[in-house]
Amino acid sequence: MFSNLEFFLIEALRSFRRGALMSLVAIATISVSLVIFGLFLLLVINLGNIVGTVSSRMDIAAYVEKDISLEEAGELQLKLGKLPGVEKVEFISKTEAWRNFKQEFGTKLELDDIMTSNPLPHTFSVKVRTPDLLPAVAKQVSNFQLIDEVRYSGKFIDQIRTLVDAVRLGGAALVVLISFATLLIVVNTIRLTVLARETDISIMKLVGATDTFIKWPFIIEGVILGVLGGLVSFIVLKFSYDAIILRVAAALPFLPLVADQRLLAVIHLVMIVGGTALGMLGAYISVSRVLKSEV
Amino acid sequence: MIELVNVSKSFSNGVDVLFNISLNIGKEEFVFIVGPSGAGKTTMMKLLYREEMPSSGKVIVDRVNVAELDYKQVPYLRRNIGVVFQDYKLLPKRTVLENVAFALRVTGAPRSTIRRKVMQALELVGMLRRVNAFPDELSGGEKQRACIARAIVNNPPILLADEPTGNLDPTTSWDIIQLLDKINRRNTTVLVATHNKSIVDSMKRRVVALENGRIVRDQLLGGYGV
Ligand SMILES: Nc1ncnc2c1ncn2[C@@H]1O[C@H](COP(=O)(O)OP(=O)(O)OP(=O)(O)O)[C@@H](O)[C@H]1O
Ligand SMILES: [Mg+2]
Repeated sequence: MFSNLEFFLIEALRSFRRGALMSLVAIATISVSLVIFGLFLLLVINLGNIVGTVSSRMDIAAYVEKDISLEEAGELQLKLGKLPGVEKVEFISKTEAWRNFKQEFGTKLELDDIMTSNPLPHTFSVKVRTPDLLPAVAKQVSNFQLIDEVRYSGKFIDQIRTLVDAVRLGGAALVVLISFATLLIVVNTIRLTVLARETDISIMKLVGATDTFIKWPFIIEGVILGVLGGLVSFIVLKFSYDAIILRVAAALPFLPLVADQRLLAVIHLVMIVGGTALGMLGAYISVSRVLKSEV
Repeated sequence: MIELVNVSKSFSNGVDVLFNISLNIGKEEFVFIVGPSGAGKTTMMKLLYREEMPSSGKVIVDRVNVAELDYKQVPYLRRNIGVVFQDYKLLPKRTVLENVAFALRVTGAPRSTIRRKVMQALELVGMLRRVNAFPDELSGGEKQRACIARAIVNNPPILLADEPTGNLDPTTSWDIIQLLDKINRRNTTVLVATHNKSIVDSMKRRVVALENGRIVRDQLLGGYGV
């Protein structure tokens, strides 16, 4: 096997060069499908990440429009804290809320010029023990006289979850479809190079070459195509995702995009390995099919 | 060494080529297979290295019924049968050296062995000067020699030569036959399919005559005609 490795490599490169144009087509196809695959993977991961971040906020915001005294507020805070399922209640006075808001957005807007009075209500932030308690607790909180409005992100989370599930499912289906299409193209590309060498193959068989021996150079050729396709897609995806992250961070800074380098490295690795596997499998299938038709 | 028992061959398109052939060829024999074009000489040889399967009967090579051989074993059968093809079948984009080396390479022989044996084979057929030529740069006789070198390079016990003097002038034909004779003397069973009357007549070897797919004569020390 190892004494043949050099020979197989030379053969593979020879065939690769001979069908340079088709090889480029195959590489391009592999990389395009891998890029689409990678983008979907990133989309799904990011949506999952957003859901995770949002749903970890297990709190209800209860607003009080009326001006209330600190004593009244403290009393209400205690009562809310005694509700079943509630873990903690925090009181944010309207003045405090206004200050926070200005701190967060004030650099962009001269808020005090636009607003003469504080438009924000007093807020009680009610933290529950588990997310599924949110609706029940919210209902009880809204029953209090002083409370004007209750908000929590449950509905939003449910919607995102449904969306993520749909994207995940659709993405998986698309990835399977694309991989299959890529495989077909690789099979046919390499089949052309195999068919171009059909005479050679029949002679090899006549002088006693085993099918395995004949297959190796083609499989190596497939691996070369796959690795190159994987590398191209890796580069394309890396640069486009980096650009996306930058844009998104500038435009929607609160959106928690995944930028964990280790996770991204894993995705890139998956793409290169995927490309290699596609190339190898495609080559294997096409050369096996041609070999079967030879005596 | 080679035994055909009631072998018939029809092609899938319905053409009947061989009828009930029985033949026994011993170790290290030299046999001419003669007969008019279309008699079935090439087909008979193809049965031996399983390029074709018999429709019925047994094809025994070295005690093994080739017709029942497992697909995976076929390459090993072929390594034991050197074939000089009627149409040479040299790999067009490879030099003489590479072509001959190829038959050894497929066996997984180490590189040093390959080099030594290839050179020996090329020397035997007198092709050392043309090692780096490509097949389409060779004359008919040179192609024939390259082909013989490839067929014998791993010392197979059996050598089949199909029309090895096909397009050659008498002198070159004679050289080629002398070469095959020399190989036969090195303990190789040699089968030669040919139309070449003068060669068959002067060699005085065993002659098997085929006509319309039947053996019409099997004669030791025979000639081309009766
Ligand atoms: N693959 C095939 N399919 C159908 N018929 C075939 C096939 N191969 C050979 N034949 C037919 O079988 C017959 C014998 O062919 P074969 O090549 O064995 O003859 P031959 O004796 O070698 O002739 P020649 O001296 O011209 O080489 C011919 O009639 C030929 O047309
Ligand atoms: Mg013939």
